Amino acid sequence: MALAVPTGLDNTKERPGERAPLVLGDTTYHDITEMVSSIAEKPPGRAWVLGFIVAFALLNMLGLCILYLIYTGVGVWGNRAPIFWGWPIVNFVFWVGIGHAGTLISAILYLFRQEWRTSINRAAEAMTIFAVVCAGTFPGIHVGRAWLAYWLAPYPSLNLWMWPQFRSPLLWDVFAVSTYATVSLLFWYMGMVPDLATFRDRSKNKWRRMAYGILCLGWSGSSRHWMRYEKAYALLAAFAAPLVLSVHTIVSFDFAVSQVPGWHTTIFPPYFVAGAIFSGFAMVITLMVPARKIFSLEKIITLRHLDNMTRIILATGMIVGLAYGTEFFIAWYGQVPEEKFAFINRAFGPYAWAYWTMITCNVISPNLFWFKKVRTTPWMMWVVSIFVNIGMWFERFVITVTSLSRDYLPSAWAYFEPTWVDWAMLVGSFGLFFTLFLLFCKFMPVVNMAETKATLAHELHLSHSGHGGH
Amino acid sequence: MTEQTKDKKVHGVVAEYTDVDSLMAACRRIRDAGYKRTDAFTPFPVHGIDDALGIKPTVLPWIALGAGATGTMIALAMQIWMNGIDYQYIISGKPFISLPAFIPVAFELTILLASFGTFFGMWALNGLPRFSNPIFTNPRFDRATDDTFFLYIDAKDPQFDQAGVERLLGDAGGEQITAVVDDDTPTKIPRFLLTAIVSVIALSMIPALIVAKMRVTTSDKPRFHIFMDMDLSPAKDAQQTSTLFADLRAMRPDVPGTVARGAFDGNLDYLTGIDMEELSMTDAPRAQRLVAAYAQGDDASGQEGGDDESADSGDAAAQTDKTPWLKYNPLDVDMDVLQRGQTQFGIYCATCHGLDGRGNGLVNQRAQRILATAWVPPSNMHDPTLYQDQYPDGKLFSTITNGVRKMAGYASQIEPEDRWAIVAYVRALQKSQNASLDEVPSADRGTIEQEVADVKQQLKEAAEAERQRQEEAAAKAAAEEAEQAEEAAAKEAESAEAENTEE
Repeated sequence: MALAVPTGLDNTKERPGERAPLVLGDTTYHDITEMVSSIAEKPPGRAWVLGFIVAFALLNMLGLCILYLIYTGVGVWGNRAPIFWGWPIVNFVFWVGIGHAGTLISAILYLFRQEWRTSINRAAEAMTIFAVVCAGTFPGIHVGRAWLAYWLAPYPSLNLWMWPQFRSPLLWDVFAVSTYATVSLLFWYMGMVPDLATFRDRSKNKWRRMAYGILCLGWSGSSRHWMRYEKAYALLAAFAAPLVLSVHTIVSFDFAVSQVPGWHTTIFPPYFVAGAIFSGFAMVITLMVPARKIFSLEKIITLRHLDNMTRIILATGMIVGLAYGTEFFIAWYGQVPEEKFAFINRAFGPYAWAYWTMITCNVISPNLFWFKKVRTTPWMMWVVSIFVNIGMWFERFVITVTSLSRDYLPSAWAYFEPTWVDWAMLVGSFGLFFTLFLLFCKFMPVVNMAETKATLAHELHLSHSGHGGH
Repeated sequence: MTEQTKDKKVHGVVAEYTDVDSLMAACRRIRDAGYKRTDAFTPFPVHGIDDALGIKPTVLPWIALGAGATGTMIALAMQIWMNGIDYQYIISGKPFISLPAFIPVAFELTILLASFGTFFGMWALNGLPRFSNPIFTNPRFDRATDDTFFLYIDAKDPQFDQAGVERLLGDAGGEQITAVVDDDTPTKIPRFLLTAIVSVIALSMIPALIVAKMRVTTSDKPRFHIFMDMDLSPAKDAQQTSTLFADLRAMRPDVPGTVARGAFDGNLDYLTGIDMEELSMTDAPRAQRLVAAYAQGDDASGQEGGDDESADSGDAAAQTDKTPWLKYNPLDVDMDVLQRGQTQFGIYCATCHGLDGRGNGLVNQRAQRILATAWVPPSNMHDPTLYQDQYPDGKLFSTITNGVRKMAGYASQIEPEDRWAIVAYVRALQKSQNASLDEVPSADRGTIEQEVADVKQQLKEAAEAERQRQEEAAAKAAAEEAEQAEEAAAKEAESAEAENTEE
């Protein structure tokens, strides 16, 4: 069962007339099962335990901050007149954006028959779910009286007898983000069912077998089931692809539908979506580079996968850079004095430090990916991906805070200063994200075994019949 | 194995294959042999196996379409009903039913329901979840989700014959051909699991029951508040102490200078120009009305209404006016008062009545010029009917306060003291037009006589100057006329000459 392309871990070299393999080495179906299942079956390693302790501590900090916030009131944040959106909304938009790469990999790349997605899509989808959990936390507590957040839902209230405002982008957001979370969850879970059945069938322990047995819904691997399953997967991918674009478009409406200079622009929907994909792929790299090392997945998550992702980061990074330039150009070309001022103020006003951090991280740093050396060296791409994450957080900060802090009336200008609660919640949200992600790595199949085996079968079949090598 | 399973029902026969290609070949073979109730079990989807096994396409896309369309309809109906019909509110002039604004939510619900339809529809069509399956009794079958391919022929197939099927599968390259028999695991749910499920459900109902009980129970105890919201106001009770103020009283005394409503204690004679004492004896109801009006109004500008109409409409009315007006100005009239009165008269009265009070102010002049039909000329202050003996100070004050005929009341613009000052100035004005030299103090008579002589002299000079100016103008006009006549004659002569030469 050897592959057409020999051993060795570098499969990024182009071979004319031949496709580089997606799975490396003399890998069999059973090897893939072993590699992925052993992560969940063996006791966790030291890196995992250490990471979990840190992440869980940060998660607890977030929980305590939320309790403090609800008990005291939103005044514990730095949100003051006129900047009432502040960090919570910055964090919300940032985390929603992170989520997008997961669905993009699993839906859009699936529709385009990009088979290289199979070894990274599971973790990316998990990342989507957890990022949306982090994102959902912030508007939930930002409404002030968080225990009444359910008023956003159009339910027949016996006390108030009134309905939410469907002409407001803020309500569209509620529907968009909750639909996105739900569909992503279905997609993720459905994709995991066959792999959970593998876990069930490998379980020695009775309890473990029962738990995975319930989760996998009695999956047997029947071809009739596979046929409907694949059809359902394709349909969900087709639904999720426009959904990804719509979610960040609607998030951008929160800004673009207002009259605030710097927000009131038609470029926001595509610009936000490009930024979301940009930051999402950076986060996938941030997670995958250490994960493939810790869990010894180098044969499945190969350099070629990472290389492909860096190319997407490079492309979307240039789209984002173009969007920054276009914004500036239109602010000048439109000749609206407030708009012009808003952009000059962003670049040279009191938040210039944030603006130039954003430009450095988002526009300049991805250009390192022009070099093949950077694209194929994990630690280098990991560093750049961290920069991109920082830059994208600052992009949301620059958009939200600079526009609110200086709009039409100079008498209503102010400088935003975050409080320690703002900081603790931002850091704590990473704790929430990594706690969930580490638990996922420990208990769920990190790589989509079934689909990876299918691509392997495809390659084996080709090597048998097409090129006659073996 | 076969000995153990002899007495059990056989559900079908299963064979193992190690790679995709041999599985596919076997599938085609049993399909061609005419078996319908067959199935393959693979660790991953094998493309082309549908055709090899003869599996028909699924109806799943139609379920998704139906669910998606339902989502669109629900979203549109919900938004149109909630925001367009049942609970309308205007936001920046947008229409109540604004379809463009309803698109995002409609889109999201379409996707959501279509996804639900796909997800749950797929499991339902597959008959999952199903935790018990006879095929799981084969311990080798655990590898179906790892790396082994299984081909299965069901006993319900009309062609099924165990020995023949086993032979066929063996011929097609199958290994480990075994019969699938009844599941011998107990079907009863373990007791501990039932207990656990029941107790979890029971415990989870406790909070809901507590809330439900609280909602229907009447109690004189305060409500149990998790979140205070604004349900409990921090307002203080009467006579309570409070550390908020230095005197520790929660009830606050009046701010100095506050006059409570109804507590007015002004001098009504001064404010109305009427001797209220006398009025209360002759016309008690009117006196009561006046007192009530002034006591309620904060700025003492109570209107008298129709009473003054009769009081001020001519001599006949004046005779029937029984109001006991104050005869004299209650102010101590001195130079300051008169000057104040003059200023106020200049501001408010002179526009109509004129600076000298003869009723020929600028407004009147303008009205006369444009022949305003509804115009009633302002009174001449020097009419004897307006002198103090016929028109008492109090009545004049009342006229300024409440107005008369075309004149509006000035109570809201002029303070009572200023109104009395105007009354005093009007009296002085009236006096000035009828004074004789005898009334002037003897020390000042000389200057006045001198002034009169000066004025007469000036008038005379002015008249002389005017006469001279007119004469000069007449002479000049005559001279110009003569000049023009001369010029005309010259022109005529010239033109006549020109005509002659042409000829």
